[in-house]
Amino acid sequence: MSAAATAIRGRVENRTLIALLVALPAILWVASEIDMDLFMAFVLWVLIALRALFHENRAVARGTIAALAAWAIILPFFQDPTAGFIEDATLALAYTVFALGLNIIVGFAGLLDLGYVAFFALGSLTAGWFMSGFVASAGGGEGWSFLVGEPASTLPGIHMNFLLVIVIAVIVTTIAGVLIGLPTLRLRGDYIAIVTLAFGEIIYRVVLNGDELVIGGQEITNGRQGITPVDKVDLPFLAPFESLELRPWYFVALAFVFIALFVNYRLRDSRLGRAWIALREDEVAAASMGVPLVRTKLLAYGTGAAFGGVGGAFLASYLNTVNADQFQFSFSIFVLAMVILGGIGSIEGVVLGAIVLSFINNNLIPDVFNDYPSKVGLDFDLTELSFGIFGFLLVIMMVLRPEGLIPERRRQMELVQHLGAGTTTGVGEAEERTIEARA
Amino acid sequence: MNDEATTPATSSDGGLAGSPLLTTQNVTKVFGGLVAVEDITFQIPERSIVSIIGPNGAGKTTFFNMLTGLYKPTYGRISFNGRNVTGRRPDLIMKDGVARTFQNIRLFATMSALENVMVGQNARMKAGLFGSIFHAPWVTREEKAVDQKARETLSYVGIPESQHEQLSVNLSYGDQRRLEIARALASDPKLLLLDEPTAGMNPQESASLTTFMRRLRDERGLTILLIEHDMQVVMGVSEHITVLDHGQQIAEGSPEEVRQNPRVVEAYLGTQGGKEAEAGAAQRGDGGQV
Amino acid sequence: MEASTDVARLPVKANTWDKVRGYIGEYGLIALLLAMPIVYGIQDISQDGSLARLGNNVVDGLSNGAIWALVALGYTLVYGIIELINFAHGEVFMIGSLVSAGLFGTLGLTVATGVGGLILGLLVILLVAMLASGSLNTMIERVAYRPLRNAPKLAPLITAIGFSFILQNVGILWIGGSPEGIPDLINAQKELFEIGGVSVSQGDVLAVAATIPLVLLLTTFVGQSRLGRAMRATAQDPEAARLMGINVDTTISLTFLLGGLLAGAAGLIYALYQTTIWFFQGFTAGLIAFTAAVMGGIGNLQGAVLGGFIIGIIQQISDNRIGGEWTPAIVFAYLVLIMVFRPQGLLGEQTREAG
Repeated sequence: MSAAATAIRGRVENRTLIALLVALPAILWVASEIDMDLFMAFVLWVLIALRALFHENRAVARGTIAALAAWAIILPFFQDPTAGFIEDATLALAYTVFALGLNIIVGFAGLLDLGYVAFFALGSLTAGWFMSGFVASAGGGEGWSFLVGEPASTLPGIHMNFLLVIVIAVIVTTIAGVLIGLPTLRLRGDYIAIVTLAFGEIIYRVVLNGDELVIGGQEITNGRQGITPVDKVDLPFLAPFESLELRPWYFVALAFVFIALFVNYRLRDSRLGRAWIALREDEVAAASMGVPLVRTKLLAYGTGAAFGGVGGAFLASYLNTVNADQFQFSFSIFVLAMVILGGIGSIEGVVLGAIVLSFINNNLIPDVFNDYPSKVGLDFDLTELSFGIFGFLLVIMMVLRPEGLIPERRRQMELVQHLGAGTTTGVGEAEERTIEARA
Repeated sequence: MNDEATTPATSSDGGLAGSPLLTTQNVTKVFGGLVAVEDITFQIPERSIVSIIGPNGAGKTTFFNMLTGLYKPTYGRISFNGRNVTGRRPDLIMKDGVARTFQNIRLFATMSALENVMVGQNARMKAGLFGSIFHAPWVTREEKAVDQKARETLSYVGIPESQHEQLSVNLSYGDQRRLEIARALASDPKLLLLDEPTAGMNPQESASLTTFMRRLRDERGLTILLIEHDMQVVMGVSEHITVLDHGQQIAEGSPEEVRQNPRVVEAYLGTQGGKEAEAGAAQRGDGGQV
Repeated sequence: MEASTDVARLPVKANTWDKVRGYIGEYGLIALLLAMPIVYGIQDISQDGSLARLGNNVVDGLSNGAIWALVALGYTLVYGIIELINFAHGEVFMIGSLVSAGLFGTLGLTVATGVGGLILGLLVILLVAMLASGSLNTMIERVAYRPLRNAPKLAPLITAIGFSFILQNVGILWIGGSPEGIPDLINAQKELFEIGGVSVSQGDVLAVAATIPLVLLLTTFVGQSRLGRAMRATAQDPEAARLMGINVDTTISLTFLLGGLLAGAAGLIYALYQTTIWFFQGFTAGLIAFTAAVMGGIGNLQGAVLGGFIIGIIQQISDNRIGGEWTPAIVFAYLVLIMVFRPQGLLGEQTREAG
């Protein structure tokens, strides 16, 4: 056994070294394409290399995570403020919050949710209600404000403090998560997928046609026009954010990501986290071991949904709009792809997947791939292919590397590859296969 | 093998001394048109080791599943520790003190051995969502205690410390079986249901498991209900045996009584074997017993 | 062992929520399905004095429903045999429509073509569209599902979604991003006859008339032929089927082929009936048809057809009374309700676990 282990470790070392050497120019090239400061890109590579080479060492692992956090904090200061990088990074961070939320539902608890966009929509809608002029009749037409400064406090509509709105959004989406989860409790995996998808579509339709639904004289949404403008974030002791000064937005998004990571890490290594993973691996065995299925599943839905509320409210303010176009089914798949690409159930993987896919979607495909065909002499707009490229990516991912970029349990991956079996997305079958192989 | 000092006295009707921990009355399970299990009535006294045997497909695992709440009986009544648990949710029955292992090992594959056992204690823990996020001091203490207890349980079943943090799926087959038992023990159950625990084991391993079961009964006061195919194990460790065939209870009694029962032999070996057993019983002049 | 007490022989009581669910499942779903027609029927009688409007809704609903039935059969066949939702099936239907529409031009069929030429041309297109969709579906099975047959359910689901996106992109490249009108070859809206105020158009008749033989052919094939038996056997128990000498792989491919053929036919009928094609039509159609399949009972062929017609009627009533923008939400709401209260559908499931 030990000879094999050394051989495996040797192989990993070689593979990792080569991968790192290739990664350096790749990272630098990507950085230049997305207008990221090259020095920071280099520092990032160094941190990744340290992590990869010493992944067994807990102290190094913790150190690199802290260093990465610090890197993320000082990143904006190394950036050219006029380049679009900070803008894209902020969006990527917001998407990361979504991905971390979906990771709880799909990654930890193993519940196939294809309707995560519903929580994004509800979070945004909450902001649309309480941070804009939408509810025009509030305060008798004069506007009702609470803990906000100028100019929002003088405008018609409801204008509440951003942090309060976040709290409301969390409450709304948590309840929605539980309600969406309830019908799925006794269903098989693919049926859960369809039901959650259905809910996502229903909510999309409600947002799209909400101008026809009137409660107490107030429409629920603004229909196809969407709700715009939405108040800028206004934190206590600070001036309200502006659309051109991007760094504050970045830091707020980064703060949300840190909070999301904190919650994820704490939950994963707790009684509830273990209950979720047990549920994912083998529901029957989990119940037999005392895991209360209903409560555990609903907690997963609720907690995962809450993240969607946070991200949604933030994006409503950041993008200055709440529009049904943002809430289509493809977004649910987008977030799911982040989770899968990164590695289902793997917190770090999911963050990586979110950032990678966000940049690919917003930068690489539109900006980069638009230039390339003309450089090669083709008159072709590659953005037309973004749908298909995305679909292709999904297929490739599942065929080549279903366990994701940073698999949840690397050791499992090694063993499973060794035996020639499948994936770590195990919902029981993977387990039975490997056990049969041994017994 | 049967140590007179530790085996409870048996009375002539096959009943056992000691208060019943688990009682079933006419437990029946019907799936659609198929009667899987019919009218199972028996009792298990505390601190005993009792077996259920029978040919494949006799309904033993179905019966187990009803005891643990995975199936709801169609008819009948199950009482555990004085409480009616018929059709109770599996996690609640587990909380009441019934734990089990599975015929085909059902460990949580992507969790370590330690984590598997910690899940076993889920019902005994109190940490909730917010306590876990904010690391309330009592939650941290609870985690430590659960971790400690898990390690102790793993060592108790004989899994070396070097394997504690290994992924459950990386363990040797024997260790995986032990891990399943450790996971079941983690919640301090009163009743332990073992579904074919010696499957795939060689005679030495089976013997050591038998000794272990006696330890559990004597040291921890556990009651053990066993489904087994290995007759040596069954005859060696059981104080009482119930035989199922085609979903029905065809015999009950001490190992000796069951071994000679013609209906039992017939169930296992077919009518020829049954006739031979009958003949043998007639020769011995004791006319067999039911 | 005799029964010790008769009390113990009583059935174990279900808890109240299960009882409520059971009750609602038995009658509630049917009540819900009838709710819309009944409510609007009453409204019609009080407002117009006749059920003509509702009747029109039903007729149009049946013709739409015929199309959904064909697509639903594809879902149900596939789910019945490998317990997997073929997410790309809606797009296979869409491609069928696009192929058909493309062939209108190629074969030179216009509104001016005579009846004989039209019929001949459409039959040819029917064949080609069916074959195109059939082979597409089979190819998807081969590439996406078969290699992942032993992987957890998430893997083929994601792959199917990926294919669905790829095919949608093919649609975009082919006819652009917006819905495109196509020649109204059969004069779909022209009224053929009228019964009691209810107008039946040529399109209505075509849709139903084209669907019925296809469904009959399929049912006969599955019920009587050797390959059909192989399909049913594999659906019940693949291992046993394999032991009986049935080539499970081929049987599964055949199932996908059949589903695709029907989707292709549905695509042509849709194109003729709606006179509009759109790259996104498969997404909505797919979900609606899947709802139909589940409503009838997944794996159950008659269920798929019944579900298709029912959904078609609901959809039409919704389009006509509430507004087309709400229809998907209403259909999906029905889907959720079915899943909660009666997941086995109206006629019962026929899959490995159930059968």
